[in-house]
Amino acid sequence: MRLEKCWFCSSTVYPGHGIQFVRNDAKIFRFCRSKCHKNFKMKRNPRKVKWTKAYRRLHGKDMTQDSTFEFERKRNRPERYDRNLAEDVLKAIPKIDKIRVRREEKHHKNRMKGNKAKLLKEAARELEQGINLVKPPSVLQKDPSLTLPQIKVLVPQQQTEENRPMEE
Amino acid sequence: MAASFASKCSRVGHSLFGGLGNSLSGLVTTSQEIICNKFLSQQQQQQRSFIQMRTVLKVVDNSGAKKVMCIQPLKGRKGARLGDTIIASVKEAHPNGKVKKGKVVYGVVMRAAMQKGRCDGSEVKFDDNAVVLVDKQGQPIGTRVFGPVPHELRMKKHVKILTLAGHIA
Repeated sequence: MRLEKCWFCSSTVYPGHGIQFVRNDAKIFRFCRSKCHKNFKMKRNPRKVKWTKAYRRLHGKDMTQDSTFEFERKRNRPERYDRNLAEDVLKAIPKIDKIRVRREEKHHKNRMKGNKAKLLKEAARELEQGINLVKPPSVLQKDPSLTLPQIKVLVPQQQTEENRPMEE
Repeated sequence: MAASFASKCSRVGHSLFGGLGNSLSGLVTTSQEIICNKFLSQQQQQQRSFIQMRTVLKVVDNSGAKKVMCIQPLKGRKGARLGDTIIASVKEAHPNGKVKKGKVVYGVVMRAAMQKGRCDGSEVKFDDNAVVLVDKQGQPIGTRVFGPVPHELRMKKHVKILTLAGHIA
C-alpha cells in the first residue's frame, strides 16, 4: 500500500480513491478527485491555479524547504520489516506532524506580519482624516489637544513655520 | 450503458426541475426532457465506453498490422475492457508484415480509454485503445510490444506479453 500525491493539487491520495491516468509515453498521472482530473483534462497548469500546493509553494505562500519534508521523501527500496522500527516510526509520525504544522504557522504569521513603518504611517493618516468621528470639528478648533500637530515644511519663500509641541 | 444513461437523465432531470422551480412543472413532456438532458450530458463529460463491434484499435506490436477493427468481443455482454481478448479484422497493415489486410485475428486489449477498477479500489485509464495480436492459444504473433502495458494481463495469464513489454503501468 502506498500513499500517492495528486499530480494536480499535491494532496495525498489514499487507497481506494482517485483515478490514475497513464499517458502513452508511460507517464502516470494520479488524481485525488474528479476536480483535479477535470482541471487536468482542461490542460490547466497547476502552477497557475490558485488553490493548488504547486501555486502556493511557487508564490511563497507556503514554506518550501524544511527538514520535516525529508521524512516524507519517496523511497523505492522496500525495508525489511522490523517491529521495533515500525513502532518507533508510528510514534514519530505525530510528533513530526506537530513540528511541521508549527513551522507552517510561523511561516504564515511572518508572511501576514506587514511592514511596521507603513502601518504606523497609515494609522496616523487615518487618525488625521477620521478625527471628526471622535469629536466634532467645532470642538476640535477650540481645544487643539486631540489633533496631531500640523507640520509645515519650510519652503524657500517667506512662510512661517508653526512650532507646536508634539502631544501624544 | 443504457442503464447509466437513464440514471444520469433522471439525476439531471431533477436538477433541472429544481432550477426552473414551479413554472414548468406541469408542462414539460418526457421527450423534451430527454432532449435537454442529452444536450447537457454531451457538454459535461466525454463518456468512455467498452470496446465493441466496429471499434477501431491501434496495434502496438510488430506483427505488421497498424489498425484493426473489432468484430467480436469474447466475454462480456456490453463489450471488451482492458485485458480482454477480442476478434478483430485487420484494416490497415504494413506492406511486408506477418499479417495482411483483411485477415481475421485475435487480439488482447492492451490499453483502453475506459477506466478499469483495480483491486485496491483505484481506477486506471489510458490515452487510447490499443491491442496486441495473438493467436488462438494466446501467444503473441509479434516479437515486440510498444508503449505502457497494464498489470491486469498477469491475472489473465498473458505473461508472455508482459515479458515483451518495455514499461508496465
